[in-house]
Formats: sequence, C-alpha cells, structure tokens
Amino acid sequence: MAGSEAEQKVVVHVRSAGNAPILKQDKFKISGRDKFLRVIEFLRRQLHQDTLFVYVNSSFSPSPDELIIDLYNNFAIDGKLVVNYALSAAWG
Amino acid sequence: MAAAPRGQEAAAWSEEAARLVWGGAVPLQVHLHDADVTALPPPPPFLTLGPRIGYFPLLVSTIKAHFSSSLPPGVDTVWFEYKGLPLKWYIPIGVLFDLLCADPERPWNLTVHFRGYPADILSPCEGEDSVKWNYNNSLKEAAFIITGNSKNVMNMSQADQLAMWESVRKGDLDSYMNISTKLKLGPFEEDFLVRTSSLEPRQGSDEPESPGSVKPCRVPVRLYVRRVQQDLEDLEDAKPVSDWESVSYINRPFEIRKEGGRSYIALEHALETLLPEFFSSKLTARAADPEPGATTPDSEPDDSGTSPGTPHDEKPASASLQETDVAKKTKLKLVRVQGIELDMDIPFLWVANNLKNPECYLHVCVYVGA
Repeated sequence: MAGSEAEQKVVVHVRSAGNAPILKQDKFKISGRDKFLRVIEFLRRQLHQDTLFVYVNSSFSPSPDELIIDLYNNFAIDGKLVVNYALSAAWG
Repeated sequence: MAAAPRGQEAAAWSEEAARLVWGGAVPLQVHLHDADVTALPPPPPFLTLGPRIGYFPLLVSTIKAHFSSSLPPGVDTVWFEYKGLPLKWYIPIGVLFDLLCADPERPWNLTVHFRGYPADILSPCEGEDSVKWNYNNSLKEAAFIITGNSKNVMNMSQADQLAMWESVRKGDLDSYMNISTKLKLGPFEEDFLVRTSSLEPRQGSDEPESPGSVKPCRVPVRLYVRRVQQDLEDLEDAKPVSDWESVSYINRPFEIRKEGGRSYIALEHALETLLPEFFSSKLTARAADPEPGATTPDSEPDDSGTSPGTPHDEKPASASLQETDVAKKTKLKLVRVQGIELDMDIPFLWVANNLKNPECYLHVCVYVGA
C-alpha cells in the first residue's frame, strides 16, 4: 500500500519569498519517490542560482534526503506541497 | 516520601532516561585516511567519545588538532567514512552507529578525510553552522508535526535559540530543559505510567505543563530501514552498508488515537502502523486477533488464545513475541533506538517521550531481511 502510494505523483506549488524571482510555472508534478533534493536542484536550475534557500510551508527547510511522498503526506495543504524559495535565509 | 504522587515518580524516571540518553556516547577510534597522510610514520589513530545526540562535524576541531602535523596544506573539507560508506553528517552519531554497526563495534573504527569531499553523496557541510541549521530546521519540522505549525520555535528569542543550540552542542541537559519546556512540544500525552497506574482522577500533576496546554497528537519519527540478508542468523555476519540507497530514510509521524480514554500503544503496534510494508505478512497472520494495539499492561488480553484466564503477572511480552516470531522471520530482524534493542511490548509513548533526540524526533533503526 505504501509502495504504490509512493509511486503517485504529487503537486508541488513553488512560491518565491523575499526578492527571489517568480517562476512562470509555479505548480508542477513530481514523483513521490523522489527526494526533496530534486526540488532544490530544479529550482536552482530554473533560477540560475547556486545558493538557494528552500522551505516548506514558510517554516522549515527539510533535509535534501527526505522523500517527497513523506513531505507531501506530512505537510501538504489542500493537496499541494507548498515550497518557498529565497535567495537569502528567510526563516532561520 | 511515602505518599509521593506517582506522577512525580514517573517524572523522575523520565528525567533519568533523558540523562542517560544525553550522557550516551560511542567510543570512536578515528584513523586518518592514507591519502591525507603527509608525515612518516603515519599518526596514531585518535580515540574520542562521540555523544549519541551529537554530530560528526562537531568533533572536527579536536580531531583536526590531533592530526594537524600530518595534514597536507590547503582547504579542508572534512568527512568521515565507515567501511567505504561516507557518513551523513546530519544524522546523529548514535543513530549512525546503531544503523551501520549491526554488531556494535567498540571502539568504532572510522576513517576521517580532509580532502576529496564526496559531494555526489553528501550534502554540503560548512562545519558547525550547517549542523546548527540542520538542528533548527529539524526542530521546526518536528514542531510542525506536533502542533501544526512551527510558531513555537520561530517565535523563540534569538538568545533562547542560541542557548538551546549551545546546550545540545555541549550536551547540557539542564539548560536544554529550561528552554525546551517553553516550547511545549511534549510530553506526548501524559506519561504512560501516570495514566494507567493511578485510578484516581487526574489531580495536580507535577509536570510543568498546565492542564489547559495543547495536547500534541502526532509524534515525529524518522525511520532508517536497513536491509540485511534474509537468512542472517548472527548480526556479526551482516553485510556492511555499501551505499545509502540500500537504507530507506522514512519520515512518518505516528498519530496518537485515543481508544476508550486509555491508549496503550505497544511499540510493535506503532511500528506496524508506521511501516505496513514490512509488517504485511504479520498483519495477515494476526488478522483474526482482536485489536493487538488496544491492550493494557494490567489486563492484557491473552494473545495466544490457548489459555484464557492465565494471569500475566510475569513477562507478558513473551507470548506475543513467540507467536509473531514466525511471521517476523520473513521481514523484521531488529529494532534499535538509542542503542537499545527494545522489547516490542514497551509503550510507544514512553519510547517517544524518553528516547527522542533533542530536536524532538524519535530516530528508529529497523533491520529487515530482504
């Protein structure tokens, strides 16, 4: 059961914080099996930034090793995992 | 005190458990990697204690001092390795030891590298700052699971935040407690002993929490599932972990549900709920049993069903353990928390409250046959 659950794709909603540029496409789907690192790398590429601070729910920065499905199950709001990104530390 | 309330007793016991967890350390024997040795003869290994709740980058300054005369010039990117596996610096030392040393090796022989950081395997680490960042974010993440937001932690004063980190860095439980109680992130429900051993209505307990405070309902748990040989008899023979892909890092909170006012949740039941994929065979085997998780220690329903009415005054755990052994053989091999191989009938909330790490996460190492 948990195995098939992890295969599902989840919706990630990315939002800029501080003065980080806004992305044209702010929602995308990602496999639950992927790690949070995937989201961080995607945002770095899109924004051409080597250093980026990436948070969930404007609160905390998960470890790059955490599984997307875990973050989604634990922290999604209205069926979306809200990921905030900033060019400098925004929430400690 | 003859009439000391049981709550006091339990609180004292809890504090003792916390002291043991905070005082726990892994004896380390650190060898300098051959490629980093520039002096002859090569320096002797360095012996030190790694606090269970500590992190490897925090040991770097003392280790570096020991090897300083042998190191090549240049910028250091320090990392540790055990049997070819680079150690993830954000995982507490005690957890790494429990996970990677199937048969506890004392001292634990590690290799330290000062060059060639494996950036494809380890996330970047800038020493203590990175560890502190990781600690604070894990604490916020745990707070979010427990209370539904991270406000308690985010609203901490700078001074408190710093003092808390210092207490963790130094292993100073007293200062930690002074600050952490303000966060109101626990204990998860009441202490199990208080609830089940006193039949009188709850009266002024001595816990700092007032009766009106928020009742947490989710316990933050980080699970590390390591696969070992299916036919493994002796832990000594477990094949070393050769890459991190063979360890599943799973973050699933445990939701506390009250069942009839009393919720005795055995560790076994909690793990079944958290990791259904590894307990599937067992669940089938016990499908006919009445709610395995709803038992209480003083009136344990007879799990085996063969001898109804037998008083379970001693070792109530044995029956259910033996019974589940058959099913477990296929999957679950070992569960280890803070270096302890826990009895599966121990109350999960006791484990969560007393064996959690300072960032309020309970780290559980699970070995499964695969």
